[in-house]
Amino acid sequence: MKIIIATSNVPFVRGGAHLMADWLGQTLRAQGHQVEILELPFSSRWENLLEQMLAFRLIDLSQHGDLLIAIRPPSYLLRHPNKVLWFIHHLRGAYDLWGTRYQDLPSSPEGLRCREAIMRADNAAFAEARKIYCNSQVVADRLARFNRVQAEVLYPPLFQPERFRTGQTGDYLLCVSRLTHHKRQWLALEALRHTQTPVRLVMVGRPDPGEETYAMELSSLIQRYRLSDRVVLIDRWIPEEEKIRLLAECLAAVYLPLDEDSYGYASLEAHHAGKAVLTTADAGGTRELVLDGLNGMVAAPDPEAIATAMDRLYADRSMAQRMGEAGRQRIAELGISWDRVIEKLLS
Amino acid sequence: MRIAWFTPYSRKSAIARFSAAVVRELARQETVDLWYPRTGDPLAAEVHNVSFRDASEVDSQKLAAYDLLVYNLGNHLPFHREIYEVSRRFPGLCVMHDFVMHHFFAAYYLEHLRRPQAYVAIMRRCAGARGASVAEEIVTGRRRPVWETDEVTRYALFEEAIRGAYGVVAHSEFFRRHVEAVSPVPCARLYLPYELMPVKSGFSRQELGIPDSKLLLITIGHVNPNKRVPSVLQALAANRDLLERIVYVVAGPCDPGRLAELESIISRLGLEGIVRLTGYVEEGPLQAYLRHADLCINLRFPAIEGASASLVEEMLHGKAVIVTDTGFYSELPSDCVMKIRPEHEQEDLTSALRRLVTDAGLREAIGSRAREFAEKHFRADQYAREFLKFAWEVRSARPLLELVDRVAGELKCMGVTKEMQIVDTVSRECEQLFCAGPEPWTGSG
Amino acid sequence: MKLAVVNNCVPFVAGGAEHLAEALTQKLREYGHEAVLIRIPFRWEPPAKIIESMLACRLLRLPNVDRVVALKFPAYLVPHPEKMLWLLHQFRQAYDLWGTRFQGLPDTPEGRRIRDVIVEADNRFLRQVRKIYTNSQVTSDRLRRFNGIDSEVLLPPLADTSQFFCAGYGDYILYPGRITASKRQLLAVEAMRHVTTDVRLVIAGRHEAPADLAQIEAVIQQHRLARRVQVIPRFISEEEKAALLSRALACAYFPYDEDSYGYVTLEAYYSRKPVITCSDSGGVCMVVKDGVTGHVTPPDPQAVAAAMDRLYLDRAAARRMGEAGLELLRSLQIGWDRVIEALTQ
Repeated sequence: MKIIIATSNVPFVRGGAHLMADWLGQTLRAQGHQVEILELPFSSRWENLLEQMLAFRLIDLSQHGDLLIAIRPPSYLLRHPNKVLWFIHHLRGAYDLWGTRYQDLPSSPEGLRCREAIMRADNAAFAEARKIYCNSQVVADRLARFNRVQAEVLYPPLFQPERFRTGQTGDYLLCVSRLTHHKRQWLALEALRHTQTPVRLVMVGRPDPGEETYAMELSSLIQRYRLSDRVVLIDRWIPEEEKIRLLAECLAAVYLPLDEDSYGYASLEAHHAGKAVLTTADAGGTRELVLDGLNGMVAAPDPEAIATAMDRLYADRSMAQRMGEAGRQRIAELGISWDRVIEKLLS
Repeated sequence: MRIAWFTPYSRKSAIARFSAAVVRELARQETVDLWYPRTGDPLAAEVHNVSFRDASEVDSQKLAAYDLLVYNLGNHLPFHREIYEVSRRFPGLCVMHDFVMHHFFAAYYLEHLRRPQAYVAIMRRCAGARGASVAEEIVTGRRRPVWETDEVTRYALFEEAIRGAYGVVAHSEFFRRHVEAVSPVPCARLYLPYELMPVKSGFSRQELGIPDSKLLLITIGHVNPNKRVPSVLQALAANRDLLERIVYVVAGPCDPGRLAELESIISRLGLEGIVRLTGYVEEGPLQAYLRHADLCINLRFPAIEGASASLVEEMLHGKAVIVTDTGFYSELPSDCVMKIRPEHEQEDLTSALRRLVTDAGLREAIGSRAREFAEKHFRADQYAREFLKFAWEVRSARPLLELVDRVAGELKCMGVTKEMQIVDTVSRECEQLFCAGPEPWTGSG
Repeated sequence: MKLAVVNNCVPFVAGGAEHLAEALTQKLREYGHEAVLIRIPFRWEPPAKIIESMLACRLLRLPNVDRVVALKFPAYLVPHPEKMLWLLHQFRQAYDLWGTRFQGLPDTPEGRRIRDVIVEADNRFLRQVRKIYTNSQVTSDRLRRFNGIDSEVLLPPLADTSQFFCAGYGDYILYPGRITASKRQLLAVEAMRHVTTDVRLVIAGRHEAPADLAQIEAVIQQHRLARRVQVIPRFISEEEKAALLSRALACAYFPYDEDSYGYVTLEAYYSRKPVITCSDSGGVCMVVKDGVTGHVTPPDPQAVAAAMDRLYLDRAAARRMGEAGLELLRSLQIGWDRVIEALTQ
């Protein structure tokens, strides 16, 4: 089959959607399909949203390929007679983040109308899709609630998960995530202050464009809380092998995003490496993967509760190991695999 | 909401008084800054204000701070030129005080810019090939200018004034319908508010030279041909038995040519002593004439204004007014004003004059209903409330209007012409994508 | 510097420009810059779609990019304050192909309006870019002639030269590349009727239309050239091409009036082989100097045959000319140093 995978991105920002598109493409090619990956540029500035959506709409792919799989918004606007969505998140400022500090549209009459226009466009596009899959129950719920659309959950797997190995159970918690405020590395630091054990923390991630000051804030927090000897902040790119090694030897992974759309590749990587995941009750999609006490710990989203969990993991390495092992099983239990993804998308 | 309110603000301008009243009310709820072309005699302003000599002085950065720009436009070039020019650079909401804007644009292109071909171009834009050819004839001197004749209402050119606007406020249903017919931009009809000036040391009838035994009939405001003064004179002359009871004062500035014409009619009809042409009258005496008037005559044909400030003033004073049944006047209840049919002008004028001159009770009744109606509807606070509601609507319409503008701009840069398929494609896509379909659920609760 | 290389794409079709775009992106990274390739789908059938594609490009945004290097119409219309062009293609159907059978756009009022829009957009938006480079003098000349815009020639190098090598000078002339009428492999076959030495011809590449291949095979049949002319009518991998070039006597490449010199010529020189081309081959003549780096003959079979025989009879000259070809490329600054320097200035 000739398959077009379409997604959007901010140039030079490698988000989850890019990996999904890339890995899906590779997997499909390995199965003998011809694949075209389109990554169209998209700016999240609200003043430019409508015209960019119109631009996507004017790109007519209806004569090409047997199937169009659209991932990140607003790629679902692209026209194609056989369009399947593997939906990962809305233009959230107009949806669930409306009314929060992350609402990027203004609450003025202009902003309200813009929001309405976005929703109408989305609804029109969803109606055109032959089938809508999404990356988590969290997102499925939002689609149902805001767009009255039934979406089937299709969890995004990692590519070549056999890359990940299990090593020792070390003394540090590993946080691998883009440096941006809502990934809440700052919360991990706040929590570490309250720990009783000498558990350490290693944070890896590059700042999103415009978030360089956040990286500096983290450094200054480490200083201020006198945690320099317990925290390592690697805010630059590291080779894959280095990340695999850090994961293999960690005590457990810590992943504390606020209201994430999906479980996050970091959690999946941790489990493939046989590691437990420490997360919070308000982490969103991560809760679909991590069940408290089974394959990780789900703490209340305050520093003390998280610190308690951190200490428990440190104090009981065998528990951490057991949870890590359970993580592997949890993946199989949830059916997170490329075979399933391909079967569904192509069905 | 932060509003920049552009208005003439000279003491001589009725629109200035209107703006002062409305802005005062708006400022109770919102932040309003008054922006006005610098004159020697501005009214006092109660809100933050900025004067400018020239449109180029208006700083785009400063305007960026506002949520809404409001432009008060009217037919008189000296009052509105700079404001109009600002509105070209920074689109906003236009409050239209005159339906006919022809005099404004003729003066703007022919006298101020001296670009006769631009005048021809706008006539073509608004009135097609016919308009262009009429304009050509005018600029080459082969035809009497339309702005000197009744024909001017066929070439109102208000479309030029509202080109690119995000919203339009009209003060009559008549005007609103005209806007709706040519533009998809939101247009609201608001009743023109008017505030009675505080009574200064009033002039008495004696001081005005009006005998107590006579009824005072007045017509106020600039003596334009469409005010039908010659017709009134004719009707008076046809009812000589009424003449000994009345004094008719025409209180308003008049062009020398017209003045001479009227004087000659008065003389020919033997109305000296009955009719008084005062020319421009200061505010004090003008208010006094209004106060003392027994009957007002306020005819308009053809209707070139959107609404009539002078009529509103007369009604607020509780006067019975004879009006032409056209334009804004048609929209008033028939028991608040005495309407005459334009196609039976002399007949109806005679009948109206006879009835009202002889029946004080009738004058009283109409006058008091007029006052009641005016006090209810022509209020600045009411205007402000409805204006804000409309402003919200206008702002809501902006994202899509701006999108369409943006796209039209790109297409224009590419040299796309309106018959090309892309124009339809784009408007259809915008409609289907952003406007069509069931109401989206905004997820509250 | 964060550079976005912006190009068109047609899903599932990859041509020369696509490889160059990828190569440029890769080279920019090798030279230490951050670079990303952005491909915008372009549809031109029916013609009204051209305007839609143009408008789509105008409405797209490129956040987080310091500079754009755009390669083709209409991708070069994407707005950005720091935009450069390395112009490979305008929409020739609106320009030099208008009035020929390759016009593509219908000669109707709407078709003409579309052409006018393409020209108007180029006139306006190409003037807004910081600098225009083109891939050949021909492209620059057209830009000047039709749009009155100046540009500088920046010759496209090969993406990767490491796989080419020389394994001696064999007995065959190689004609690589897509088999189409305009590439004129047929002329090479016709020439083989007139050669007097034992020189052979090898044609290797995918054919566009069945007729293109059929014609060649017919001539081979008709003139009993089967033992002298070998046709490999399929996609040739890079390794295969390098191997075929490595043992060839020389390379033949004489397309009709090509814009640029073509990669084939560069690949030949990197394999140290001379090139036979024709005087009407357009841009190819830029890199082939008659008697120095190969032969430039009139486009008739006898002249081509004579050149083939000459090379067969003097292997040493073939070697000399192949080396000289490489030297010519250096002197013309056809290489990535020059390209990256120009585009990142």
